[in-house]
Amino acid sequence: MLILAVDSSTPVAGAALVDEDRVIIESFINYKKTHSETLLPTINRILRECDCSITDIDVLAVTAGPGSFTGLRIGMAAVKGISMAADKPVVAVSTLDTLAGNIAGSDALVCTLLDARKNEVYCGFYEVSGTCPERIKGPMVCTPETFLSIAVELAAYKHQEKIILLGDGYYRYSEYFDIELKDKLLPVPGHLMLPRAAAAGVLAVHKARQGEFEDVYHLRPLYIRLSEAEYRLGKGAV
Amino acid sequence: MKDILILGIETSCDETAASIVKNGCGILSNVINSQINIHQQFGGVVPEIASRKHIENIAMVVDNAFKEAGLSYQDIDGVAVTNQPGLIGALLVGLSFAKGFAWALDRPLLAVNHLHGHIYANILEHQDISFPAVCLVVSGGHTSLLHMKDIDSYAVIGETRDDAAGEAFDKVARFLGLGYPGGPAIQKAAALGKAGKVKLPRVYLDKNDFEFSFSGLKTAAMNLWKKMKGNEELAVFDLAAEFQQALVEVLVEKSLKAAKIYQVDSILMAGGVAANQHLRLLMKEKAGQENIKVFCPSLPLCTDNAAMIAGIAYHQYITKSYAPLDLNAYPGLLSL
Ligand SMILES: [Zn+2]
Repeated sequence: MLILAVDSSTPVAGAALVDEDRVIIESFINYKKTHSETLLPTINRILRECDCSITDIDVLAVTAGPGSFTGLRIGMAAVKGISMAADKPVVAVSTLDTLAGNIAGSDALVCTLLDARKNEVYCGFYEVSGTCPERIKGPMVCTPETFLSIAVELAAYKHQEKIILLGDGYYRYSEYFDIELKDKLLPVPGHLMLPRAAAAGVLAVHKARQGEFEDVYHLRPLYIRLSEAEYRLGKGAV
Repeated sequence: MKDILILGIETSCDETAASIVKNGCGILSNVINSQINIHQQFGGVVPEIASRKHIENIAMVVDNAFKEAGLSYQDIDGVAVTNQPGLIGALLVGLSFAKGFAWALDRPLLAVNHLHGHIYANILEHQDISFPAVCLVVSGGHTSLLHMKDIDSYAVIGETRDDAAGEAFDKVARFLGLGYPGGPAIQKAAALGKAGKVKLPRVYLDKNDFEFSFSGLKTAAMNLWKKMKGNEELAVFDLAAEFQQALVEVLVEKSLKAAKIYQVDSILMAGGVAANQHLRLLMKEKAGQENIKVFCPSLPLCTDNAAMIAGIAYHQYITKSYAPLDLNAYPGLLSL
């Protein structure tokens, strides 16, 4: 099963080809250009480099959120277009699950957090004893303080000595987390800190095997938050 | 010669639209999913909500365009998409979808300026327009007069210095409590009142140039309403009628002046405000007296649609003016 995975939910633009559990090629761009400019050229390039055309692909995977509203829509719109034109099924993967997929076989509590602006983070809490992250709480949006208290509480409850923080939400509030967690915080090398399209592809293999495909006519990103205008109208949560 | 079929995609504001047009003039399908009902409760288009609706609707709208035309995806020769101007988040949905669709079908991508599309809506329905011509572009975002040497060669000879005509309609309609969108709301109210019962200024600025200004008229209408409020029940209709009359008179007069100075015998109208019945009638009446022909798109092609995008893109397809895969979207107008 050959999967083309696409992620543009954070400042990173990623695309990867994954064959079962083997990564064939991956592109990871964490640079200034907009996703609108980079995404399709990247997809085009990685397929060419592997002498593939879209007809060789079995399944498309896309990170569906949470993340930047516009970024999510760029990736999802592109994948919808490709899916319809090439008649390929789509698997949607959580951006937070994708991040947690960077870690495997750990006793630590794995927390993924994305900068949600307005002094909040999108976050999820995971156990990753094997190769597949198991979400125990989230996805949700909250302040870094609330996030941290949940993490500490969960770790205590699960008897986990160490806590791993992944995602750009960590970078944003690193000073605060470092001071609060001290040696409870298990540092992770930089290449595992941000979402990887390859990880989304590997997670998508599992979902595709279970037949968890999306209806592209109704698929939409997981925003978690309402738009500002809806909040002002006094609507509740999504 | 083989027929050229172009798929057009338009998501610059609050309409998700897709259309297939043959050889630049034959509309095979024209699907429009309007979000007006959703934005009404906010009194105007909310960009984030518009973008959310676009990503939900885009796949179905495009598929329906093919169904309506009785075509399969493989039948089209190129994919055209609006990439400017408009709401950036909204534009990006259509653009990203179009790129993925075109790339996966291995068809060229064609980038269209939304306003060029509005102007082209005239040509979609009237292949007998003789150029040069003057074109009045009036919408929620724009009020411009163009001197058109040909279908694809034009110069801006005048613009609004403040509010666009459609924007003035929206703001005044909201102030008078007539609802949203303002153009149709004022037109409806105006039909129940009489222009001239109350007096509003006609703002011509310099009578010899083609610049517009509507913010003074807008403020005058609002101030008058504050004074009148409560005094007379039917006054709102008279005020709406006078406001519409004042705005339309200026648009018509400046368009005619431009036609005379540039010595053209056709005036084209484009954009959402070109759907205003009073503007259409007055323009035709006054131009008729001067032997000038007036062209305006039928009502469904005045407002945002993708047929105008697919139509104009045919000419880009013929000249192989393809867009690259790293094409971006731009909210503002780079050039008209
Ligand atoms: Zn428009």
